[in-house]
Amino acid sequence: MSSRKRINPSSSRRAFLGSLGAAGVLCPFIPLLERELEAAPGDFPLRLIVLFSANGTIHENWAPTGGESDFTLSPILSPLEAYRDQMIVLDGLEMSRAGVGDGHQKGMGHLWTGSTLLEGTEFEGGDGGTAGWGGGISVDQHVANAVGDDTPYRSLEFGVQTKGATVWSRMSYAGPNQPLAPEDSPDAMFDRLFADFDVDASELDRLKAQRQSVIDLVKGDLDSLMVQHGSADDKLKIEAHLESIRAIEQRNQAEAPTCEIPGAPGGIDHDANDNYPLVSQLQSDLLSMSLTCDMTRVASLQWSRSVSNTRFSWLGIEEGHHDLSHLGDGDQSMIDKLTQINTWYSEQVRYLLDALAALPEGDGSVLDNTLVVWGNELSRGNSHGNRPIPFVLLGGGGGQLEMGRYLQYDNVEHNRLLVSICNAMGLADQSFGSTDPGSGGLPGLT
Amino acid sequence: MALVMALLLATGCYSGLEEFGPDGVGADGEGDDAGEGGDDAAALCGDGVAQTGPTKLRRLTRSQYERTVRDLLGVTTDAAVGFAPDERVGAFKSNAVAPVGDLQVEQYMDAAETVATAATVDLAALLPCDPAAIGEDACADEWVRQLAPRAYRRPVSEADVSRLMDVYATAKADADFDAGIRVTLQGILQSPWFLYHVELGDVTSPADEGVPVALSGHEMASRLSYFLWDTMPDDSLFVAAEAGELATVEGIETQVARMLADPKSQEAIASFHTQWLGVDELESLEKSPTAYPDFDPALAQAMKEDTASFANWVLAQGDGRLETLLTSAFTLSEDPALLALYGVELPAGHVSGEPIALPGEQRAGLLTQPALMARHAHADQTSPVHRGQLVREKLMCQILPAPPPEVDNVPPDPDPDATTRERFEQHSADESCRVCHELIDGLGFGFEQYDGVGAFRDEEGGLPVDASGWIVGTSAINGDFDGAVELAGMLAGSVEVRDCMARQWFRYSLGRMDTAQDECTMDRLATAFEDSDHDVRSLIHEIVLSDAFRYRLAPEEQ
Repeated sequence: MSSRKRINPSSSRRAFLGSLGAAGVLCPFIPLLERELEAAPGDFPLRLIVLFSANGTIHENWAPTGGESDFTLSPILSPLEAYRDQMIVLDGLEMSRAGVGDGHQKGMGHLWTGSTLLEGTEFEGGDGGTAGWGGGISVDQHVANAVGDDTPYRSLEFGVQTKGATVWSRMSYAGPNQPLAPEDSPDAMFDRLFADFDVDASELDRLKAQRQSVIDLVKGDLDSLMVQHGSADDKLKIEAHLESIRAIEQRNQAEAPTCEIPGAPGGIDHDANDNYPLVSQLQSDLLSMSLTCDMTRVASLQWSRSVSNTRFSWLGIEEGHHDLSHLGDGDQSMIDKLTQINTWYSEQVRYLLDALAALPEGDGSVLDNTLVVWGNELSRGNSHGNRPIPFVLLGGGGGQLEMGRYLQYDNVEHNRLLVSICNAMGLADQSFGSTDPGSGGLPGLT
Repeated sequence: MALVMALLLATGCYSGLEEFGPDGVGADGEGDDAGEGGDDAAALCGDGVAQTGPTKLRRLTRSQYERTVRDLLGVTTDAAVGFAPDERVGAFKSNAVAPVGDLQVEQYMDAAETVATAATVDLAALLPCDPAAIGEDACADEWVRQLAPRAYRRPVSEADVSRLMDVYATAKADADFDAGIRVTLQGILQSPWFLYHVELGDVTSPADEGVPVALSGHEMASRLSYFLWDTMPDDSLFVAAEAGELATVEGIETQVARMLADPKSQEAIASFHTQWLGVDELESLEKSPTAYPDFDPALAQAMKEDTASFANWVLAQGDGRLETLLTSAFTLSEDPALLALYGVELPAGHVSGEPIALPGEQRAGLLTQPALMARHAHADQTSPVHRGQLVREKLMCQILPAPPPEVDNVPPDPDPDATTRERFEQHSADESCRVCHELIDGLGFGFEQYDGVGAFRDEEGGLPVDASGWIVGTSAINGDFDGAVELAGMLAGSVEVRDCMARQWFRYSLGRMDTAQDECTMDRLATAFEDSDHDVRSLIHEIVLSDAFRYRLAPEEQ
């Protein structure tokens, strides 16, 4: 279970700086960290959000034109025009195709882990082989392990119709073979986050006491099972359950964060295709509230899944997304529709950014202290390509990155972006994932 | 709809037929038939040494959770709807691989609180005793001793009882007796003993590490029950477990015969067939309202029930044979929209539960059912690729060879004046694609008489449908055919399909894939299936008597 353990519970930026001195490592982002160190206590927390949309993009309608700072946004990214100063468009990043799995499986499993999939017989791919779950911790969880101790939730995973539990539909991993399920239901997520807020104090105390006695029981049963089970694989599962119950116990014992309760989503069939836009907005609302209430500092929002066959009926598109994404490049109708779909996703990203920007924090907004990373499992649907994967960084990122740029790379491994995310979040990692060439973060990012 | 065929598979296939093999690791063919005589408890394979692949520690699936709550407490619940989705192993739902995370454990907490509240509304109905008569604590103790062994599916120790009574006492002291019962029930429902299929083996004969261990009677009762009923054991199974009857071939066979005759087996048989064929979540299938205006979730639900009721009829009222499953033309559905799609009317004097005959030249068994045809199609048109893949992967347990790395798998542009088949044939004309599509297309084209929701058709957009096809890469049934009805008849005679059927039932029964260590069991299953003229019920009997089913090998870390 080492992968689930805190990487270093005290690896805050401050502790990190201290250890850097001893190690004598020099990194280009140190001046930024020092700047932050000089800021007054009571700094606002830095948050990370990772976003996913599926089936690749239409690169010619996605990539900006122009130079690094004088770029013009393409049709697909044009809804984000208002945030061009808080945006870095990353073109030319490549995702490794090492190891087992088909294009979609690898794309999804590699995206935030930078690691090859585990071998296994669980998932039959479109490539004639089989694969298991993802083979490493994902960057959001790695960051959460370092920065998540001060909040009720180390991280929160939001989903919009992500559906079945397969390697195609999981992007967040607590470790190898440990996919984290997103919550697809805004109602359930609301209850999870806020249901206890309107329970009166004495009733809440009683509820917590009752839950504690149940938690004690479950822990006792898990402990006894652990003794009786000799198999390493069995023990891993029992340990994971124990760790989860301990996290719940901590939340049960903690004071509820003081925070204004948002309105409840109010009941919605979150799996119905045509409710997709509404679910997306409800989840974005809850995500932004969970950050501003400091219930977590790391979150993900996953729209559908790799091989998504969502029907964008509200855009007048009849075919499923994945079916469309396989049509030939000579089909202008396909190009138009996929451009529409990817543009719609940009609008959803803008919706989330608008929500975060509307939440004041100090002289700025929650968005100023948030790094948003948007990725995809493929470059293009009909080729199942792995380069260039469309990545966009958004938000103020706490000033850690120099935003407002269009950066073009020549097939640079995306692991280096994952390293840069860690660094921007105050972690010292110089490599990330099993496919990392070990060259450090993305050049020119800070 | 000017659309070219979308491909799930990368097109192209260079390695050809010789690399074809079953997708499991276990081999088939003529294995040693070890025979069953002698000591009932002894392993069937090898020289009295049990042979089985590893079985992981599994959690209840959503349906198992809800049905177990129903049978344990008499509470009908949909509390598991909110659980993170079940994992699948191959085609089948089985929470075998990934450990739980915070979210899932919180979902268990939430569901337990909901169920416990519902179950304690009528305390008198829940409790086996009258607290006013014998005292609250005495009654709680009696209730715990009665409920916990059933909830945990094993005898409980004094330590178990004591832990539960601590929960009761705490909640009672803080509130009242009702709260004591309710919170204790919350605890039982969140215990790993409730949530997992715990299999430690028969502790009276512990095995060395890496050696299969015989299941205890209670563990065997649970395996049987969750396999054949998708829920917890009933009292009769618990009694048989305690009497040691589930350690003998005779005792197991007695239970299996009883369990298959019980209506509860319909749920498991329905689950097997709908999961195997990929139609278990059909109600969420999306179709283009322009192309298929009559398709809606209610029709999809009727289609799914059609598959389930058909399979159940064959196994319960019919002859149970694979050939019947693959070739009979009838439906049990009385859904007007589905019957309209089939082009038949409810016969005069129809008695519910009686088969309604379908046109024999149009329909043949499971494969041509609307559920399968709708599922293996696109939102606005058919998909020969998906349908060919259905036959190869689900019916024959084959995985298609990998495409060559250099292949350009961008499909050709659409042509509005061509049928699906004609458009599809364009890219099959490419030599790099042709070899592989030879394997898929010949099968998939055979289904072109069924549109994207499974209605029978002679023409497509004014052009005549050509449903001729061919099958290659099999040991005995290679050849041409015309339409899926003829294809289904050929498949029913295929060794690959028969062995695959045995393999799929095996996977369903244990919620895991077969491995090389299950070779002996797979051989026995294939032989027994053959000897019974491919009666699925005989196959089920053989599975539960196998080493793999009666022993557990604990898995090592991945």
